[in-house]
Amino acid sequence: MNAIIFSALAGVVMMYSGIITSKKTVIKYIAAIALVVLIAANLLQVYGIWQISVDTRDMLSFEKFGLVFNTLAFTATLIYVLLSGKEIENAGVNVAEYFALIFFVLCGVSILSSFNGLLMMFLGIEILTIPLYILTASDKRNLRSNEASLKYFLMGSFSTGIMLMGIALVYGATGSFALHTNAPVALSATGGIKASFLEVAGMILMFVSMAFKVSAAPFHFWTPDVYDGAPGVFTSFMATVVKAAGFIAFIRLFEGHTAILGPTWKILLAFVIVATLLIGNVTAVFQQSVKRMLSYSSIAQAGFMLFALYSSNDMAKEGLLLYSVAYSLATIGIFAVLIKLKDYAFDDFNGLGKTHPALAFATTVCLLSLAGIPLTGGFFAKYYMLASMVKEGGPLWLLIVAVLFAAVSVYYYFRVIQAMYFKEGTPSVQTEITSGFKAGMVLLAILIILLGIAPSLVLNLFYF
Amino acid sequence: MNWPFLLLDAADNNSVANYFPIGIQLIFAAGFVATMIGVSQLLGPKRKTADKLETFASGIENHGDARQPVAIKYFLVAILFVLFDVEVIFFYPYAVNFRELGWSGFGAVLMFVSFFLIGFIYIIKKGALKWED
Repeated sequence: MNAIIFSALAGVVMMYSGIITSKKTVIKYIAAIALVVLIAANLLQVYGIWQISVDTRDMLSFEKFGLVFNTLAFTATLIYVLLSGKEIENAGVNVAEYFALIFFVLCGVSILSSFNGLLMMFLGIEILTIPLYILTASDKRNLRSNEASLKYFLMGSFSTGIMLMGIALVYGATGSFALHTNAPVALSATGGIKASFLEVAGMILMFVSMAFKVSAAPFHFWTPDVYDGAPGVFTSFMATVVKAAGFIAFIRLFEGHTAILGPTWKILLAFVIVATLLIGNVTAVFQQSVKRMLSYSSIAQAGFMLFALYSSNDMAKEGLLLYSVAYSLATIGIFAVLIKLKDYAFDDFNGLGKTHPALAFATTVCLLSLAGIPLTGGFFAKYYMLASMVKEGGPLWLLIVAVLFAAVSVYYYFRVIQAMYFKEGTPSVQTEITSGFKAGMVLLAILIILLGIAPSLVLNLFYF
Repeated sequence: MNWPFLLLDAADNNSVANYFPIGIQLIFAAGFVATMIGVSQLLGPKRKTADKLETFASGIENHGDARQPVAIKYFLVAILFVLFDVEVIFFYPYAVNFRELGWSGFGAVLMFVSFFLIGFIYIIKKGALKWED
Protein backbone atom coordinates (compact mmCIF):
# COMPACT_ATOMS: atom_id res chain seq x y z
CA MET A 1 0.00 0.00 0.00
CA ASN A 2 2.92 2.33 0.76
CA ALA A 3 4.06 2.27 -2.85
CA ILE A 4 0.62 3.10 -4.24
CA ILE A 5 0.00 5.98 -1.81
CA PHE A 6 3.46 7.49 -2.03
CA SER A 7 3.69 7.31 -5.82
CA ALA A 8 0.31 9.06 -6.19
CA LEU A 9 1.35 11.74 -3.69
CA ALA A 10 4.71 12.15 -5.41
CA GLY A 11 2.85 12.72 -8.68
CA VAL A 12 0.81 15.51 -7.07
CA VAL A 13 3.98 17.02 -5.58
CA MET A 14 5.62 17.01 -9.01
CA MET A 15 2.55 18.70 -10.55
CA TYR A 16 2.86 21.57 -8.08
CA SER A 17 6.63 21.78 -8.26
CA GLY A 18 6.18 23.03 -11.82
CA ILE A 19 4.10 25.94 -10.51
CA ILE A 20 6.46 26.82 -7.67
CA THR A 21 9.70 26.77 -9.64
CA SER A 22 10.53 26.96 -13.31
CA LYS A 23 14.12 25.74 -12.89
CA LYS A 24 14.28 22.44 -14.72
CA THR A 25 17.23 21.09 -12.77
CA VAL A 26 15.48 21.74 -9.46
CA ILE A 27 12.45 19.82 -10.70
CA LYS A 28 14.69 16.92 -11.71
CA TYR A 29 16.24 16.76 -8.26
CA ILE A 30 12.83 16.91 -6.57
CA ALA A 31 11.84 13.92 -8.70
CA ALA A 32 14.99 12.03 -7.74
CA ILE A 33 14.40 12.72 -4.04
CA ALA A 34 10.75 11.66 -4.36
CA LEU A 35 11.90 8.42 -5.98
CA VAL A 36 14.30 7.73 -3.12
CA VAL A 37 11.48 8.34 -0.62
CA LEU A 38 9.24 6.04 -2.66
CA ILE A 39 11.85 3.26 -2.64
CA ALA A 40 12.37 3.71 1.11
CA ALA A 41 8.62 3.59 1.79
CA ASN A 42 8.28 0.43 -0.26
CA LEU A 43 11.27 -1.21 1.46
CA LEU A 44 9.68 -0.47 4.84
CA GLN A 45 6.70 -2.53 3.73
CA VAL A 46 8.84 -5.30 2.21
CA TYR A 47 10.64 -5.81 5.50
CA GLY A 48 7.41 -5.46 7.46
CA ILE A 49 8.61 -2.48 9.51
CA TRP A 50 5.91 0.04 8.75
CA GLN A 51 2.98 0.22 6.41
CA ILE A 52 -0.17 2.18 5.92
CA SER A 53 -2.91 -0.38 6.33
CA VAL A 54 -6.07 0.25 4.40
CA ASP A 55 -9.04 -2.08 4.27
CA THR A 56 -9.06 -2.92 0.58
CA ARG A 57 -11.73 -5.62 0.97
CA ASP A 58 -9.42 -8.23 -0.61
CA MET A 59 -9.06 -6.27 -3.81
CA LEU A 60 -5.34 -5.91 -3.25
CA SER A 61 -2.98 -8.41 -1.72
CA PHE A 62 0.61 -7.52 -0.94
CA GLU A 63 2.83 -10.51 -1.51
CA LYS A 64 6.59 -10.55 -1.53
CA PHE A 65 6.77 -11.12 -5.29
CA GLY A 66 4.92 -7.92 -6.10
CA LEU A 67 6.64 -5.83 -3.43
CA VAL A 68 10.10 -6.93 -4.54
CA PHE A 69 9.15 -6.10 -8.10
CA ASN A 70 8.07 -2.63 -6.92
CA THR A 71 11.49 -2.06 -5.41
CA LEU A 72 13.22 -3.16 -8.60
CA ALA A 73 10.97 -1.05 -10.83
CA PHE A 74 11.43 2.07 -8.70
CA THR A 75 15.18 1.57 -8.60
CA ALA A 76 15.28 1.17 -12.38
CA THR A 77 13.28 4.41 -12.66
CA LEU A 78 15.73 6.18 -10.36
CA ILE A 79 18.65 5.04 -12.52
CA TYR A 80 16.70 6.15 -15.58
CA VAL A 81 16.04 9.62 -14.11
CA LEU A 82 19.66 10.04 -13.06
CA LEU A 83 21.04 8.96 -16.45
CA SER A 84 18.51 10.51 -18.83
CA GLY A 85 17.26 13.39 -16.67
CA LYS A 86 18.87 15.93 -18.99
CA GLU A 87 16.82 14.63 -21.93
CA ILE A 88 13.58 14.61 -19.93
CA GLU A 89 14.26 18.29 -19.22
CA ASN A 90 14.67 18.96 -22.93
CA ALA A 91 11.79 16.81 -24.20
CA GLY A 92 9.33 19.69 -24.05
CA VAL A 93 8.18 22.65 -22.00
CA ASN A 94 6.21 20.94 -19.23
CA VAL A 95 9.03 19.19 -17.40
CA ALA A 96 7.29 18.93 -14.05
CA GLU A 97 4.29 17.30 -15.72
CA TYR A 98 6.46 14.64 -17.36
CA PHE A 99 7.81 13.65 -13.97
CA ALA A 100 4.30 13.74 -12.50
CA LEU A 101 3.12 11.41 -15.27
CA ILE A 102 6.06 9.08 -14.63
CA PHE A 103 5.01 8.90 -10.98
CA PHE A 104 1.42 8.14 -11.97
CA VAL A 105 2.74 5.35 -14.18
CA LEU A 106 4.62 4.04 -11.14
CA CYS A 107 1.33 4.14 -9.20
CA GLY A 108 -0.15 1.94 -11.92
CA VAL A 109 2.88 -0.35 -11.67
CA SER A 110 2.42 -0.80 -7.94
CA ILE A 111 -1.29 -1.57 -8.38
CA LEU A 112 -0.47 -4.11 -11.09
CA SER A 113 2.04 -5.85 -8.85
CA SER A 114 -0.50 -6.35 -6.07
CA PHE A 115 -4.00 -6.64 -7.54
CA ASN A 116 -6.16 -9.44 -6.28
CA GLY A 117 -9.18 -8.93 -8.50
CA LEU A 118 -10.00 -8.13 -12.08
CA LEU A 119 -11.39 -4.72 -11.11
CA MET A 120 -8.10 -3.51 -9.63
CA MET A 121 -6.20 -5.01 -12.54
CA PHE A 122 -8.27 -2.95 -14.95
CA LEU A 123 -7.71 0.21 -12.89
CA GLY A 124 -4.00 -0.50 -12.68
CA ILE A 125 -3.68 -0.94 -16.42
CA GLU A 126 -5.58 2.26 -17.09
CA ILE A 127 -3.50 4.25 -14.58
CA LEU A 128 -0.41 2.79 -16.23
CA THR A 129 -1.30 3.49 -19.86
CA ILE A 130 -3.13 6.83 -19.86
CA PRO A 131 -0.04 8.83 -18.75
CA LEU A 132 1.92 6.99 -21.45
CA TYR A 133 -0.37 8.29 -24.19
CA ILE A 134 0.50 11.82 -23.04
CA LEU A 135 4.21 11.11 -22.68
CA THR A 136 4.28 9.70 -26.22
CA ALA A 137 2.90 12.97 -27.57
CA SER A 138 5.10 15.21 -25.41
CA ASP A 139 7.11 16.34 -28.43
CA LYS A 140 4.13 18.46 -29.42
CA ARG A 141 5.54 20.08 -32.60
CA ASN A 142 6.72 16.76 -34.01
CA LEU A 143 4.17 15.16 -36.30
CA ARG A 144 5.58 11.67 -35.77
CA SER A 145 5.22 11.99 -32.02
CA ASN A 146 1.59 13.03 -32.44
CA GLU A 147 0.91 10.19 -34.85
CA ALA A 148 2.50 7.69 -32.49
CA SER A 149 0.39 8.95 -29.61
CA LEU A 150 -2.86 8.81 -31.55
CA LYS A 151 -2.05 5.33 -32.81
CA TYR A 152 -1.16 4.17 -29.31
CA PHE A 153 -4.31 5.73 -27.88
CA LEU A 154 -6.67 4.18 -30.45
CA MET A 155 -5.08 0.74 -30.36
CA GLY A 156 -4.76 0.86 -26.59
CA SER A 157 -8.41 1.79 -26.19
CA PHE A 158 -9.48 -1.11 -28.38
CA SER A 159 -7.39 -3.57 -26.41
CA THR A 160 -8.80 -2.15 -23.19
CA GLY A 161 -12.26 -2.70 -24.62
CA ILE A 162 -11.38 -6.32 -25.36
CA MET A 163 -10.12 -6.70 -21.81
CA LEU A 164 -13.37 -5.29 -20.42
CA MET A 165 -15.34 -7.77 -22.50
CA GLY A 166 -13.20 -10.55 -21.08
CA ILE A 167 -13.71 -9.33 -17.52
CA ALA A 168 -17.46 -9.13 -18.11
CA LEU A 169 -17.57 -12.71 -19.40
CA VAL A 170 -15.54 -14.04 -16.47
CA TYR A 171 -17.75 -12.13 -14.07
CA GLY A 172 -20.79 -13.60 -15.78
CA ALA A 173 -19.40 -17.12 -15.40
CA THR A 174 -18.05 -16.98 -11.85
CA GLY A 175 -20.08 -14.17 -10.29
CA SER A 176 -17.06 -12.44 -8.80
CA PHE A 177 -14.09 -10.31 -9.73
CA ALA A 178 -11.81 -12.30 -7.43
CA LEU A 179 -8.68 -13.69 -9.01
CA HIS A 180 -8.54 -17.01 -7.21
CA THR A 181 -12.03 -18.32 -6.81
CA ASN A 182 -12.46 -21.07 -4.28
CA ALA A 183 -15.32 -22.61 -6.20
CA PRO A 184 -14.93 -26.39 -6.58
CA VAL A 185 -13.80 -27.39 -10.04
CA ALA A 186 -15.75 -30.13 -11.77
CA LEU A 187 -13.79 -32.84 -13.51
CA SER A 188 -15.00 -33.95 -16.90
CA ALA A 189 -15.08 -37.58 -18.05
CA THR A 190 -11.68 -37.29 -19.73
CA GLY A 191 -10.04 -35.98 -16.58
CA GLY A 192 -9.79 -32.37 -17.73
CA ILE A 193 -11.33 -29.61 -15.74
CA LYS A 194 -14.72 -28.55 -16.91
CA ALA A 195 -15.00 -24.83 -17.11
CA SER A 196 -17.90 -22.89 -18.43
CA PHE A 197 -17.59 -21.67 -21.98
CA LEU A 198 -18.02 -18.09 -20.82
CA GLU A 199 -15.09 -18.25 -18.44
CA VAL A 200 -12.74 -19.72 -21.03
CA ALA A 201 -13.86 -17.17 -23.63
CA GLY A 202 -13.32 -14.39 -21.10
CA MET A 203 -9.84 -15.63 -20.25
CA ILE A 204 -8.94 -15.80 -23.94
CA LEU A 205 -10.10 -12.21 -24.46
CA MET A 206 -8.04 -11.08 -21.48
CA PHE A 207 -5.08 -12.99 -22.86
CA VAL A 208 -5.39 -11.14 -26.17
CA SER A 209 -5.54 -7.80 -24.40
CA MET A 210 -2.60 -8.52 -22.10
CA ALA A 211 -0.56 -9.83 -25.04
CA PHE A 212 -1.27 -6.53 -26.72
CA LYS A 213 -0.06 -4.56 -23.68
CA VAL A 214 3.24 -6.44 -23.51
CA SER A 215 3.50 -6.39 -27.34
CA ALA A 216 3.59 -10.11 -27.98
CA ALA A 217 3.02 -11.21 -31.57
CA PRO A 218 0.53 -11.27 -33.28
CA PHE A 219 -0.59 -8.22 -31.28
CA HIS A 220 2.67 -6.30 -31.61
CA PHE A 221 1.89 -4.01 -34.56
CA TRP A 222 1.65 -0.83 -32.53
CA THR A 223 5.04 -1.27 -30.86
CA PRO A 224 7.57 -0.23 -33.54
CA ASP A 225 5.60 2.84 -34.59
CA VAL A 226 4.91 4.03 -31.06
CA TYR A 227 8.41 3.35 -29.74
CA ASP A 228 9.90 4.97 -32.82
CA GLY A 229 7.65 8.03 -32.81
CA ALA A 230 7.78 8.80 -29.10
CA PRO A 231 10.64 10.96 -27.81
CA GLY A 232 13.64 8.71 -27.11
CA VAL A 233 13.66 9.27 -23.36
CA PHE A 234 10.08 8.13 -22.97
CA THR A 235 10.58 5.16 -25.27
CA SER A 236 13.28 4.09 -22.84
CA PHE A 237 10.82 4.21 -19.95
CA MET A 238 8.01 2.51 -21.89
CA ALA A 239 10.20 -0.31 -23.11
CA THR A 240 11.57 -1.13 -19.67
CA VAL A 241 9.65 -0.47 -16.47
CA VAL A 242 6.22 -0.42 -18.11
CA LYS A 243 6.80 -3.58 -20.10
CA ALA A 244 8.12 -5.45 -17.07
CA ALA A 245 5.07 -4.35 -15.07
CA GLY A 246 2.87 -5.67 -17.87
CA PHE A 247 4.47 -9.09 -17.48
CA ILE A 248 4.06 -9.06 -13.72
CA ALA A 249 0.35 -8.37 -14.21
CA PHE A 250 0.20 -11.05 -16.91
CA ILE A 251 1.66 -13.76 -14.68
CA ARG A 252 -0.41 -12.70 -11.65
CA LEU A 253 -3.57 -12.88 -13.74
CA PHE A 254 -2.93 -16.28 -15.27
CA GLU A 255 -1.02 -18.30 -12.67
CA GLY A 256 -4.17 -19.52 -10.95
CA HIS A 257 -6.19 -19.96 -14.09
CA THR A 258 -4.07 -22.09 -16.38
CA ALA A 259 -5.81 -25.24 -15.15
CA ILE A 260 -9.13 -23.94 -16.43
CA LEU A 261 -7.79 -23.46 -19.92
CA GLY A 262 -6.40 -26.99 -20.04
CA PRO A 263 -3.71 -28.38 -22.36
CA THR A 264 -4.77 -26.06 -25.18
CA TRP A 265 -3.34 -23.21 -23.15
CA LYS A 266 0.23 -24.49 -23.55
CA ILE A 267 -0.20 -24.89 -27.29
CA LEU A 268 -1.62 -21.39 -27.60
CA LEU A 269 1.19 -19.93 -25.54
CA ALA A 270 3.86 -21.86 -27.44
CA PHE A 271 2.47 -20.44 -30.68
CA VAL A 272 2.54 -16.89 -29.30
CA ILE A 273 6.09 -17.32 -27.97
CA VAL A 274 7.45 -18.66 -31.26
CA ALA A 275 5.64 -15.97 -33.28
CA THR A 276 6.95 -13.23 -30.97
CA LEU A 277 10.52 -14.50 -31.14
CA LEU A 278 10.33 -14.91 -34.91
CA ILE A 279 8.85 -11.50 -35.69
CA GLY A 280 10.91 -9.61 -33.13
CA ASN A 281 14.27 -11.07 -34.05
CA VAL A 282 13.94 -11.42 -37.81
CA THR A 283 12.50 -7.93 -38.31
CA ALA A 284 15.12 -6.37 -36.05
CA VAL A 285 17.82 -7.69 -38.37
CA PHE A 286 16.59 -5.50 -41.23
CA GLN A 287 16.27 -2.20 -39.34
CA GLN A 288 18.33 0.83 -40.35
CA SER A 289 17.67 2.86 -37.21
CA VAL A 290 18.93 1.75 -33.81
CA LYS A 291 15.81 3.08 -32.11
CA ARG A 292 13.56 0.98 -34.32
CA MET A 293 15.88 -1.99 -33.92
CA LEU A 294 15.56 -1.64 -30.15
CA SER A 295 11.78 -1.55 -30.38
CA TYR A 296 11.81 -4.82 -32.34
CA SER A 297 14.32 -6.19 -29.88
CA SER A 298 11.90 -5.32 -27.09
CA ILE A 299 9.34 -7.53 -28.87
CA ALA A 300 11.92 -10.29 -29.06
CA GLN A 301 12.73 -9.92 -25.36
CA ALA A 302 9.00 -10.07 -24.60
CA GLY A 303 9.05 -13.49 -26.29
CA PHE A 304 11.59 -14.65 -23.73
CA MET A 305 9.68 -13.18 -20.83
CA LEU A 306 6.61 -15.11 -21.99
CA PHE A 307 8.42 -18.30 -20.96
CA ALA A 308 7.74 -17.26 -17.37
CA LEU A 309 4.05 -17.45 -18.19
CA TYR A 310 4.51 -20.80 -19.93
CA SER A 311 6.05 -22.48 -16.90
CA SER A 312 4.55 -20.21 -14.20
CA ASN A 313 6.33 -21.96 -11.31
CA ASP A 314 8.47 -20.39 -8.57
CA MET A 315 11.59 -20.54 -10.68
CA ALA A 316 9.78 -18.65 -13.45
CA LYS A 317 8.80 -15.93 -10.99
CA GLU A 318 12.38 -15.53 -9.79
CA GLY A 319 13.54 -15.56 -13.38
CA LEU A 320 11.01 -12.91 -14.36
CA LEU A 321 12.29 -10.59 -11.62
CA LEU A 322 15.86 -11.18 -12.79
CA TYR A 323 14.86 -10.74 -16.40
CA SER A 324 13.08 -7.45 -15.78
CA VAL A 325 16.11 -6.08 -13.94
CA ALA A 326 18.67 -7.27 -16.49
CA TYR A 327 16.60 -6.17 -19.47
CA SER A 328 15.55 -2.82 -17.95
CA LEU A 329 19.06 -1.81 -16.90
CA ALA A 330 20.58 -2.73 -20.26
CA THR A 331 17.87 -0.97 -22.29
CA ILE A 332 17.98 2.14 -20.10
CA GLY A 333 21.75 2.25 -20.61
CA ILE A 334 21.58 1.93 -24.40
CA PHE A 335 18.84 4.51 -24.70
CA ALA A 336 20.74 6.93 -22.43
CA VAL A 337 23.60 6.88 -24.95
CA LEU A 338 21.35 6.72 -28.00
CA ILE A 339 19.44 9.91 -27.14
CA LYS A 340 22.72 11.81 -26.89
CA LEU A 341 23.28 11.16 -30.61
CA LYS A 342 21.85 13.23 -33.45
CA ASP A 343 19.90 10.64 -35.39
CA TYR A 344 19.19 7.13 -34.35
CA ALA A 345 21.08 5.47 -37.21
CA PHE A 346 23.72 2.78 -36.83
CA ASP A 347 26.28 5.10 -38.48
CA ASP A 348 25.98 7.56 -35.61
CA PHE A 349 27.86 5.13 -33.43
CA ASN A 350 30.84 5.04 -35.84
CA GLY A 351 34.07 5.61 -34.00
CA LEU A 352 32.50 6.03 -30.56
CA GLY A 353 35.05 3.55 -29.23
CA LYS A 354 37.87 6.00 -30.00
CA THR A 355 36.31 9.29 -28.93
CA HIS A 356 34.36 8.10 -25.88
CA PRO A 357 35.89 4.81 -24.72
CA ALA A 358 34.00 4.75 -21.42
CA LEU A 359 30.61 5.20 -23.09
CA ALA A 360 31.44 2.65 -25.77
CA PHE A 361 32.44 0.13 -23.09
CA ALA A 362 29.24 0.65 -21.11
CA THR A 363 27.08 0.41 -24.25
CA THR A 364 28.88 -2.78 -25.24
CA VAL A 365 28.16 -4.35 -21.86
CA CYS A 366 24.50 -3.36 -22.17
CA LEU A 367 24.26 -4.85 -25.66
CA LEU A 368 25.99 -8.05 -24.57
CA SER A 369 23.53 -8.32 -21.72
CA LEU A 370 20.57 -7.95 -24.09
CA ALA A 371 22.07 -10.64 -26.33
CA GLY A 372 22.48 -12.93 -23.32
CA ILE A 373 26.25 -13.40 -23.37
CA PRO A 374 27.64 -15.04 -20.20
CA LEU A 375 29.09 -12.82 -17.46
CA THR A 376 26.30 -10.30 -18.01
CA GLY A 377 22.92 -10.13 -16.31
CA GLY A 378 21.09 -11.08 -19.48
CA PHE A 379 22.64 -14.53 -19.57
CA PHE A 380 21.22 -15.68 -16.27
CA ALA A 381 17.91 -14.01 -17.06
CA LYS A 382 17.54 -16.06 -20.23
CA TYR A 383 18.90 -19.14 -18.46
CA TYR A 384 16.29 -18.92 -15.73
CA MET A 385 13.49 -18.49 -18.26
CA LEU A 386 14.49 -21.57 -20.25
CA ALA A 387 15.39 -23.64 -17.19
CA SER A 388 12.00 -23.01 -15.62
CA MET A 389 10.40 -24.16 -18.86
CA VAL A 390 12.46 -27.37 -18.88
CA LYS A 391 11.66 -27.94 -15.22
CA GLU A 392 7.96 -27.74 -16.04
CA GLY A 393 8.41 -30.36 -18.75
CA GLY A 394 8.17 -28.10 -21.76
CA PRO A 395 8.87 -29.50 -25.22
CA LEU A 396 12.45 -29.69 -26.46
CA TRP A 397 11.72 -28.02 -29.79
CA LEU A 398 10.59 -24.87 -28.02
CA LEU A 399 13.91 -24.73 -26.19
CA ILE A 400 15.86 -25.14 -29.43
CA VAL A 401 13.81 -22.44 -31.17
CA ALA A 402 14.43 -20.03 -28.29
CA VAL A 403 18.20 -20.62 -28.29
CA LEU A 404 18.32 -20.24 -32.08
CA PHE A 405 16.57 -16.90 -31.93
CA ALA A 406 18.86 -15.76 -29.11
CA ALA A 407 21.70 -16.48 -31.54
CA VAL A 408 19.98 -14.42 -34.24
CA SER A 409 19.68 -11.51 -31.82
CA VAL A 410 23.47 -11.47 -31.44
CA TYR A 411 23.72 -10.32 -35.06
CA TYR A 412 21.81 -7.07 -34.71
CA TYR A 413 23.17 -6.19 -31.27
CA PHE A 414 26.72 -6.71 -32.52
CA ARG A 415 26.13 -4.38 -35.46
CA VAL A 416 26.17 -1.51 -32.97
CA ILE A 417 29.35 -2.82 -31.32
CA GLN A 418 30.92 -3.21 -34.75
CA ALA A 419 30.04 0.41 -35.60
CA MET A 420 31.55 1.65 -32.36
CA TYR A 421 34.87 -0.14 -32.55
CA PHE A 422 35.59 -1.20 -36.12
CA LYS A 423 34.23 1.61 -38.25
CA GLU A 424 35.95 4.91 -38.96
CA GLY A 425 34.12 8.16 -38.45
CA THR A 426 33.14 10.70 -35.88
CA PRO A 427 30.13 9.92 -33.70
CA SER A 428 27.47 12.60 -33.95
CA VAL A 429 27.23 13.31 -30.25
CA GLN A 430 24.76 16.14 -29.95
CA THR A 431 24.73 17.06 -26.29
CA GLU A 432 27.90 17.36 -24.30
CA ILE A 433 28.85 14.32 -22.25
CA THR A 434 29.54 15.20 -18.63
CA SER A 435 31.93 13.18 -16.53
CA GLY A 436 29.02 12.40 -14.18
CA PHE A 437 27.16 10.73 -17.05
CA LYS A 438 30.25 8.72 -17.96
CA ALA A 439 30.66 7.59 -14.38
CA GLY A 440 26.97 6.66 -14.20
CA MET A 441 27.20 4.59 -17.37
CA VAL A 442 30.31 2.76 -16.16
CA LEU A 443 28.61 2.06 -12.82
CA LEU A 444 25.60 0.71 -14.71
CA ALA A 445 27.89 -1.56 -16.72
CA ILE A 446 29.54 -2.79 -13.53
CA LEU A 447 26.09 -3.45 -12.05
CA ILE A 448 25.12 -5.52 -15.10
CA ILE A 449 28.33 -7.55 -14.90
CA LEU A 450 27.77 -8.01 -11.17
CA LEU A 451 24.30 -9.39 -11.93
CA GLY A 452 25.90 -11.78 -14.40
CA ILE A 453 28.39 -13.07 -11.86
CA ALA A 454 26.06 -13.20 -8.87
CA PRO A 455 22.40 -13.25 -9.94
CA SER A 456 21.57 -14.21 -6.37
CA LEU A 457 21.85 -10.49 -5.56
CA VAL A 458 18.38 -10.07 -6.99
CA LEU A 459 17.08 -13.54 -6.32
CA ASN A 460 17.88 -13.38 -2.62
CA LEU A 461 15.56 -10.40 -2.32
CA PHE A 462 12.84 -12.90 -2.94
CA TYR A 463 13.79 -15.08 0.01
CA PHE A 464 15.70 -13.01 2.59
CA MET B 1 -45.53 -30.30 -47.70
CA ASN B 2 -47.96 -27.42 -47.76
CA TRP B 3 -46.82 -23.92 -46.84
CA PRO B 4 -49.42 -23.25 -44.11
CA PHE B 5 -48.61 -26.55 -42.44
CA LEU B 6 -44.91 -25.79 -42.48
CA LEU B 7 -45.57 -22.73 -40.35
CA LEU B 8 -47.68 -24.78 -37.93
CA ASP B 9 -44.91 -27.38 -37.64
CA ALA B 10 -42.44 -24.67 -36.81
CA ALA B 11 -44.52 -23.59 -33.86
CA ASP B 12 -44.64 -27.16 -32.55
CA ASN B 13 -41.06 -28.28 -32.04
CA ASN B 14 -38.21 -26.32 -30.55
CA SER B 15 -35.80 -25.89 -33.44
CA VAL B 16 -34.28 -23.44 -35.86
CA ALA B 17 -37.41 -23.74 -37.95
CA ASN B 18 -39.09 -21.59 -35.31
CA TYR B 19 -37.29 -18.65 -36.80
CA PHE B 20 -38.55 -19.31 -40.31
CA PRO B 21 -41.39 -16.73 -40.13
CA ILE B 22 -38.95 -14.14 -38.76
CA GLY B 23 -36.63 -14.89 -41.67
CA ILE B 24 -39.44 -14.35 -44.14
CA GLN B 25 -40.30 -11.10 -42.45
CA LEU B 26 -36.68 -9.89 -42.57
CA ILE B 27 -36.42 -10.71 -46.28
CA PHE B 28 -39.74 -9.00 -46.93
CA ALA B 29 -38.73 -5.89 -44.96
CA ALA B 30 -35.38 -5.52 -46.70
CA GLY B 31 -36.91 -6.31 -50.09
CA PHE B 32 -39.75 -3.81 -49.61
CA VAL B 33 -37.39 -0.98 -48.70
CA ALA B 34 -35.02 -1.77 -51.57
CA THR B 35 -37.91 -1.98 -54.07
CA MET B 36 -39.49 1.27 -52.92
CA ILE B 37 -36.24 3.21 -53.13
CA GLY B 38 -35.45 1.71 -56.52
CA VAL B 39 -38.92 2.31 -57.94
CA SER B 40 -39.13 5.90 -56.75
CA GLN B 41 -35.72 6.54 -58.23
CA LEU B 42 -36.81 5.09 -61.56
CA LEU B 43 -40.31 6.52 -61.86
CA GLY B 44 -40.11 9.78 -59.95
CA PRO B 45 -39.59 13.13 -61.72
CA LYS B 46 -36.06 14.57 -61.62
CA ARG B 47 -35.28 18.28 -61.85
CA LYS B 48 -31.69 18.90 -60.85
CA THR B 49 -30.98 22.52 -60.08
CA ALA B 50 -28.14 24.05 -58.09
CA ASP B 51 -30.52 25.02 -55.29
CA LYS B 52 -31.82 21.50 -54.95
CA LEU B 53 -28.41 19.89 -54.70
CA GLU B 54 -27.42 22.13 -51.83
CA THR B 55 -27.32 20.76 -48.30
CA PHE B 56 -30.67 21.19 -46.59
CA ALA B 57 -30.37 23.70 -43.77
CA SER B 58 -34.02 24.44 -42.91
CA GLY B 59 -34.35 26.80 -45.84
CA ILE B 60 -31.56 29.11 -44.76
CA GLU B 61 -28.71 29.65 -47.18
CA ASN B 62 -25.49 27.76 -46.47
CA HIS B 63 -22.50 29.54 -44.99
CA GLY B 64 -19.56 27.38 -45.95
CA ASP B 65 -18.13 24.42 -44.08
CA ALA B 66 -18.91 23.72 -40.45
CA ARG B 67 -15.45 22.29 -39.88
CA GLN B 68 -13.60 25.48 -39.03
CA PRO B 69 -10.79 25.64 -36.53
CA VAL B 70 -12.17 26.64 -33.15
CA ALA B 71 -10.02 28.23 -30.45
CA ILE B 72 -8.64 25.56 -28.13
CA LYS B 73 -9.96 27.55 -25.15
CA TYR B 74 -13.53 26.38 -25.81
CA PHE B 75 -12.45 22.76 -25.92
CA LEU B 76 -10.40 23.09 -22.74
CA VAL B 77 -13.21 24.70 -20.77
CA ALA B 78 -15.71 22.16 -22.10
CA ILE B 79 -13.57 19.17 -21.15
CA LEU B 80 -12.87 20.59 -17.69
CA PHE B 81 -16.58 21.16 -17.22
CA VAL B 82 -17.33 17.56 -18.17
CA LEU B 83 -14.63 16.36 -15.77
CA PHE B 84 -16.10 18.20 -12.79
CA ASP B 85 -19.61 17.31 -13.86
CA VAL B 86 -18.81 13.61 -13.87
CA GLU B 87 -17.41 13.98 -10.36
CA VAL B 88 -20.89 14.82 -9.12
CA ILE B 89 -22.20 11.46 -10.37
CA PHE B 90 -20.07 9.69 -7.75
CA PHE B 91 -21.88 11.56 -4.99
CA TYR B 92 -25.25 9.96 -5.76
CA PRO B 93 -24.33 6.41 -4.68
CA TYR B 94 -22.57 7.91 -1.66
CA ALA B 95 -25.63 9.93 -0.71
CA VAL B 96 -27.82 6.83 -0.93
CA ASN B 97 -25.49 4.80 1.30
CA PHE B 98 -24.51 7.70 3.53
CA ARG B 99 -25.58 6.11 6.82
CA GLU B 100 -24.19 2.62 6.19
CA LEU B 101 -20.76 3.82 5.12
CA GLY B 102 -20.27 5.87 8.26
CA TRP B 103 -17.08 7.74 9.02
CA SER B 104 -14.81 5.60 6.84
CA GLY B 105 -17.01 6.35 3.85
CA PHE B 106 -16.92 10.02 4.74
CA GLY B 107 -13.13 9.88 4.86
CA ALA B 108 -13.00 8.22 1.44
CA VAL B 109 -15.26 10.81 -0.12
CA LEU B 110 -13.30 13.59 1.57
CA MET B 111 -10.13 12.20 0.00
CA PHE B 112 -11.81 11.98 -3.39
CA VAL B 113 -12.98 15.59 -3.18
CA SER B 114 -9.62 16.83 -1.95
CA PHE B 115 -7.88 15.18 -4.90
CA PHE B 116 -10.30 16.94 -7.21
CA LEU B 117 -9.69 20.20 -5.38
CA ILE B 118 -5.95 19.76 -5.83
CA GLY B 119 -6.55 19.28 -9.55
CA PHE B 120 -8.80 22.35 -9.63
CA ILE B 121 -6.18 24.56 -7.96
CA TYR B 122 -3.63 23.14 -10.37
CA ILE B 123 -5.59 24.10 -13.49
CA ILE B 124 -6.24 27.59 -12.11
CA LYS B 125 -2.55 28.06 -11.34
CA LYS B 126 -1.67 26.75 -14.79
CA GLY B 127 -3.98 29.38 -16.29
CA ALA B 128 -6.25 26.92 -18.06
CA LEU B 129 -9.33 29.01 -17.20
CA LYS B 130 -7.80 32.36 -18.18
CA TRP B 131 -10.01 33.55 -21.03
CA GLU B 132 -8.20 36.75 -22.04
CA ASP B 133 -4.65 36.26 -23.25
